[in-house]
Amino acid sequence: MTVHSHTSVDPVAAGSLQRTDRRDWGKYTQQAGLASCIVALGVYFTVKNSNFASQDNLIELLRAATLYFIVACPVTLVLVGGGLDFSVGAVYALGAVCSGLMITHGIPWPVALCGGVGVGVTVGLANAAATIYLSVPPLIATIGSFFVAGGIAVVITDGIDVYGFPDSFTHIGSGDIAGIPYLIVYAAAIGVIFHIVLEKTVFGYNIRAVGGNRDAAAANAIRVARVDIALYALSGGIAALAGILGSARLSSASPNAAGAGFTFQVITAVIVGGTSLFGGVGTVAGSALGAILFAEINNGLQVINVNPLYQSIFIGIILVAAVAVDQFRRKRRFRAGR
Amino acid sequence: MADPTDGRGARPVADLELQGITKRFGHLTALDGVDLSAYPGQVLAVVGDNGAGKSTLIKIIGGVYRPDAGEVALSGERVAFSDPADARRAGVATVFQDLALVEVLDVSTNMFLGQFPRRAGWLVSRKAMDAQSRAFLDDLKVTIPSVKTQIGMLSGGQRQIIAIARAMRTGAHTVLLDEPTAALGVRETAHAKDLIRELRDRGNTVICISHDMHLVFDLADRIQVLRHGRVAGVRETAATTSDEIIGLITGSSSDEPHAIARSE
Repeated sequence: MTVHSHTSVDPVAAGSLQRTDRRDWGKYTQQAGLASCIVALGVYFTVKNSNFASQDNLIELLRAATLYFIVACPVTLVLVGGGLDFSVGAVYALGAVCSGLMITHGIPWPVALCGGVGVGVTVGLANAAATIYLSVPPLIATIGSFFVAGGIAVVITDGIDVYGFPDSFTHIGSGDIAGIPYLIVYAAAIGVIFHIVLEKTVFGYNIRAVGGNRDAAAANAIRVARVDIALYALSGGIAALAGILGSARLSSASPNAAGAGFTFQVITAVIVGGTSLFGGVGTVAGSALGAILFAEINNGLQVINVNPLYQSIFIGIILVAAVAVDQFRRKRRFRAGR
Repeated sequence: MADPTDGRGARPVADLELQGITKRFGHLTALDGVDLSAYPGQVLAVVGDNGAGKSTLIKIIGGVYRPDAGEVALSGERVAFSDPADARRAGVATVFQDLALVEVLDVSTNMFLGQFPRRAGWLVSRKAMDAQSRAFLDDLKVTIPSVKTQIGMLSGGQRQIIAIARAMRTGAHTVLLDEPTAALGVRETAHAKDLIRELRDRGNTVICISHDMHLVFDLADRIQVLRHGRVAGVRETAATTSDEIIGLITGSSSDEPHAIARSE
């Protein structure tokens, strides 16, 4: 073989030289960096206060991350697909109060849960319709539906929390298996499902193609609008589900739950986890790490007696730093390739 | 002239036939009654100055635009594509100038975009996809370090070659190439030419837009010249000269109206 056959076009090289179709590990450096951050912070907090590493505290930490992570799963897919969903914070509250009202009006809770999820899916479909058929940018469409959904949640409850749930319902949010809260089990199951959907299924491959280059996806017979509709519907449905689980845990559904702060936290966790705002790039595992990192910072600062109000400052710095590192890495990587 | 005899004595059926294609953009008439015939196992080059209507013509064949008047027929049957996906289902693949590759995805995913091999109904068979991509690229003597390499890390030439290879992989019988060697290096151009010849030898109908006269005379069996949205002439490559083609492009020589070669 010729030594200069690293160019693509040497017909003599005939492919046999470099038949190493290895996985491209370069894609995972951000996740690896994030995981080391989590471990390093964990070591730091443990050194400051050994209670940090206690089993009870670690479970509490994970539980704090669960509701963010559950919503982060579909939001990751939306971002990978080149969209954006700002409405999740309001859909969370709307789903919770809708199913809560159904329960307090005597509807069996499994039916009410499905009804609440259905309301979330409906908001998602409205988001999709606005972006696809009215050509409203996803950011604007979902901020719009954020206000509408949040407004409906307040109007139908007169702004008052809904409570008086049966134990069978609150148990799904507060029970545990062998000391592990159900919420963590749900989050793990949903995370695995969304990971498989994104990484292994035809739908997942189509999401990446649409987010990576919408025109190319359409030119290659991928039904782009159908992918969008599925993504926003999933996002709305899961956000409502998370709200309902949250209301089961607290035994009350608040129309003022979650909100804009929740939306920001979810999207921040997703982006810090390595998902690109520009579509095509991102993993569910990264979002899990992002959600865990924030829960760790919040929890750790309390454990070592730092005022938790500092949390926002750290999160803001981490968000910008993570994206800056990613941009730098990407530039170097692609320049090396060309 | 323009007897489509391909030198092997056979007179192939016209695979792609355009008649009286007209396309207007507002007041601008991009194409005005353009006829075109392309045959299996042949390369038809479409040449012309900037704004002559070449890209518009390719986009009409590829399903991007719909003509305002005129007919497109594939193997004698009239077709009207609503979008590029529709055209591809009918066996017409376009390698666009912007390539339509997804940069953040790897080579084999791009090769199978929109046609991922499945297992268990809704899972992508990654192994089959990688193995088939590798086998296909090896067959074409394309050397890519790994089929798992992201497209964004490849050179412009490598991308062009992947885009052509993808059109071949989809099993299209008619392949449209828009400036396939623009921005390619010498070796990459040579390889792209090999791929285009390979397409032709496999019996595909190849239509190629190019500014590059060397490429056109090297590859094409016939050359169709567009000027101001009309057909200025069609020539057998073997029976014409670079000077004559350039004359047709610039308008210093021209066929009489309706003296344009038809296959009938």
